[in-house]
Amino acid sequence: MTEEQQLKLQAFLDGELPEKDTREVAAWLARDPDATALLGELRNTRKALADFGKPGSAGVSPASALKVPASREFYWSKIQREIERSAPAAVPVKSNSLFTLFRRVLMPLGAVAVLALGGIITLHQFAGGQHSIQVNALLGDAGAFTYRDESQGMTVVWLSYPAENKFAEKPPADTLPAK
Amino acid sequence: MRPGLFCACLLFLVSALVFPVDSAFADTGDMTIEAQLIWGTNDSKPDAKLKPAGPILSEKLKHSPFKWDHYFEMHREVFKLRLNEEKTITMSRNCVVSVTNIGGDQVKFSLFGKGKLANTVTQALPNGQLLVTGGDAENSTAWFVVLRQVDSKTMETNSSSR
Repeated sequence: MTEEQQLKLQAFLDGELPEKDTREVAAWLARDPDATALLGELRNTRKALADFGKPGSAGVSPASALKVPASREFYWSKIQREIERSAPAAVPVKSNSLFTLFRRVLMPLGAVAVLALGGIITLHQFAGGQHSIQVNALLGDAGAFTYRDESQGMTVVWLSYPAENKFAEKPPADTLPAK
Repeated sequence: MRPGLFCACLLFLVSALVFPVDSAFADTGDMTIEAQLIWGTNDSKPDAKLKPAGPILSEKLKHSPFKWDHYFEMHREVFKLRLNEEKTITMSRNCVVSVTNIGGDQVKFSLFGKGKLANTVTQALPNGQLLVTGGDAENSTAWFVVLRQVDSKTMETNSSSR
């Protein structure tokens, strides 16, 4: 067992560990009989010191007059643990690397690009292409109008010109019948 | 999301949008066009030799604002058009049409009556869509030129039902 572990056990006994460390030490105690034994010794020692000087105890000096020598390491580790316990949870430090900056710019730009591209393609496919119709009636009397039926998928261009010009009358044998 | 994964997803999305599989690998820009000359009349059987137009086409024409009771197919042509190719088809003695594949499923359709250009229509003609040009004929009848894109593989089996 290292000195650091021993100090940690002492801090555990004194209730000076942060909650996370307390759980770790408790788990460690559950699986390590040496640690459990040391904790028992420390507990007994503390109890003996606390009882020392009380009426009816075997000691001759009052407990307040006793000084238990604390090692330099234990003294400073105690202070360090106290600071750690009272310090707020560490906030992850944000990296200001070029990649982070690039990613921060790339993500919204990428999303905008995808949306714009989708919009352009949708417009091209559904608005600009399929149903746009351009009709030019070229003869002077060929008035034309257009009718679009979405449900039937049909565009009708109606010309008024052929009736007078007998466009479809008197067809050959393979076309319109003579009336 | 991890940056690498995000970039990969972004790349995939952009690729899928810009290079759709069907257009990148399958669509060569060729079109197979069927042109029909149809006669609309209210007489049920003006001539026993006349071939009725397909039921689907008849129904569609009956749903148009110009309602004749009966439609007969006078002539039919099926032809392939490569990109930017133009073909001129004689539908009857007085009716000649010219069709150009201008790309992106669009066609330029020109109608000639007695040798004179009467009308030009530029229209997208994806599968399942019809472009119908029509006009009055004598005795309150009507003529129609119906243009549609057909699948050349299934053309033979489906043409009679159209």
